[in-house]
Amino acid sequence: MNPALKNIRRSPYQAIAAVLVLSLNLFVISLFTLVTLASQSILVYFETRPQIIAYLKDTAPESLVNETITNLNSTGLVKSIKYVSKNDALKIYKESVGNDPLLLGTVTQLGEVTADILPASLEVSVRSSSDFDHVAKVLEESDIVSLTPQGVKEIDFPKNIVSELAAWTKALRTAGVALAVVLSVTSINTIGTNVSLKIASRKTEIDTLKLIGAKNSFVLKPYLWETVIYSLIGGFFGWLFSFIVLLYSTPILVTRLEGIIPLPVPPLTVFFLLLFILSVSLLLGLFSGIFAVVRFLRR
Amino acid sequence: MIEFKEVTKQFPAGNVVLEKVSFLIKPGEFVVITGPSGSGKTTIAKLLIKEIEPTSGEIVIDSENLGLLKAKHLPSLRKKVAVIFQDYKIIPDKTVAENISLALQIINFPKTQILERITHLLGLVGLSEKENLFPGQLSGGELQRAAIARAVAVEPSILFADEPTGNLDLATAGEIMLLLKKINQSGTTVIVSTHDLNFIDLASRHLHLLKGKIVAEDTESIEKPPKKVKKK
Repeated sequence: MNPALKNIRRSPYQAIAAVLVLSLNLFVISLFTLVTLASQSILVYFETRPQIIAYLKDTAPESLVNETITNLNSTGLVKSIKYVSKNDALKIYKESVGNDPLLLGTVTQLGEVTADILPASLEVSVRSSSDFDHVAKVLEESDIVSLTPQGVKEIDFPKNIVSELAAWTKALRTAGVALAVVLSVTSINTIGTNVSLKIASRKTEIDTLKLIGAKNSFVLKPYLWETVIYSLIGGFFGWLFSFIVLLYSTPILVTRLEGIIPLPVPPLTVFFLLLFILSVSLLLGLFSGIFAVVRFLRR
Repeated sequence: MIEFKEVTKQFPAGNVVLEKVSFLIKPGEFVVITGPSGSGKTTIAKLLIKEIEPTSGEIVIDSENLGLLKAKHLPSLRKKVAVIFQDYKIIPDKTVAENISLALQIINFPKTQILERITHLLGLVGLSEKENLFPGQLSGGELQRAAIARAVAVEPSILFADEPTGNLDLATAGEIMLLLKKINQSGTTVIVSTHDLNFIDLASRHLHLLKGKIVAEDTESIEKPPKKVKKK
């Protein structure tokens, strides 16, 4: 370890360059990890929400509702079905509007909102977004679903939102991985070249050590330690920068995504992110070091 | 025991540095190899630690044929055969003590005893006050002593000193030769290559090289080599 620290002190600017490149790379990897985790949470949130809501006729008999539920379950495509009665609907409505007298109808001429004016509904979650059409068709064929004034069955069908979200998440993940790969190759090249230069500049010393009986491992260990030091410092700073970005963006994110993703991000997640980034960094550093050392030994 | 059997070394440029050289050095001997510059003395040192390979012939050290020695066993050979290089090869940005410490670390010498061992070695070579000096701050004679201390640190069974008196004044050269004799008396086989004939009387045997061939060999101490060397 001491010879490695000495090597770093001897050429501080090379060391700073290596650490900066690694920090930038790991900052990007760290941010993309956070974005991927967030987008995954958003996707899960929307996937676990009722994906198909069918509003029922006031006159729909309970037996027919039960029969429709049985039909839906028999398709094997349904994850869950929830029957929301008129009273449940009122409760949900009141919870969502809070104490707003205007929305509760208490200050309007129309009078207070009651359960009578809200329809009962069936909230259906499907196993896969590809099953939307089939499940929706079962509901379309049922007589219990109410009709709009235009004669269309009242079925909320947010198929496009979820599938588009899934596509965006996938694209984001792919872009992140591609960027991380490009930056990783740059980091490996920068650190590898840096270490190669140092090994080359100490060739006489290395040759002397080998002449007095040193093994390759003894001679080259300090250079591998050096890459480990670069990795740990670079990894820590990469994580730190992303953590700072996260801290400053949390107030903005809370207003848009509260309830969808856990905000502020739990300390344990941040700690695991640090461990993940340090591991990736260490892997990159060691790979660069081994790459440089092997190149030297092959000469 | 070192045995050279008909060893020839020809470099790619075509120059033959050693030609069918044969000799045998027994354990504990103090052998001086003399010869003018370019006669092949340094080549013998390089062949002994397998820094270069002979073009033909065999080199056997303690019944181990160096030609058959695998690369992974080189470090152990170089711990057995230590060379004091003509240009010292002391690492310039490390102090005298650090240079010796490196040699001890290479042989996995117990860390807690390294300092004690360095003090002992520096006392042996007369550099006790210079342990924290850098090579650039030492004289030629002191550098030579530092190189001897580093070589002896690993307790080699064979010590090859390549032109140890080459750059030194007569008095310092004499001190260095006496130091090597002292090391030899502790049981180490010592081989000294030199073109200086002033100190061959310290040796138990003398080999004289000329143009890559041994032209004279004597088993007695010789005061005036040209008169006493026997033709082969």
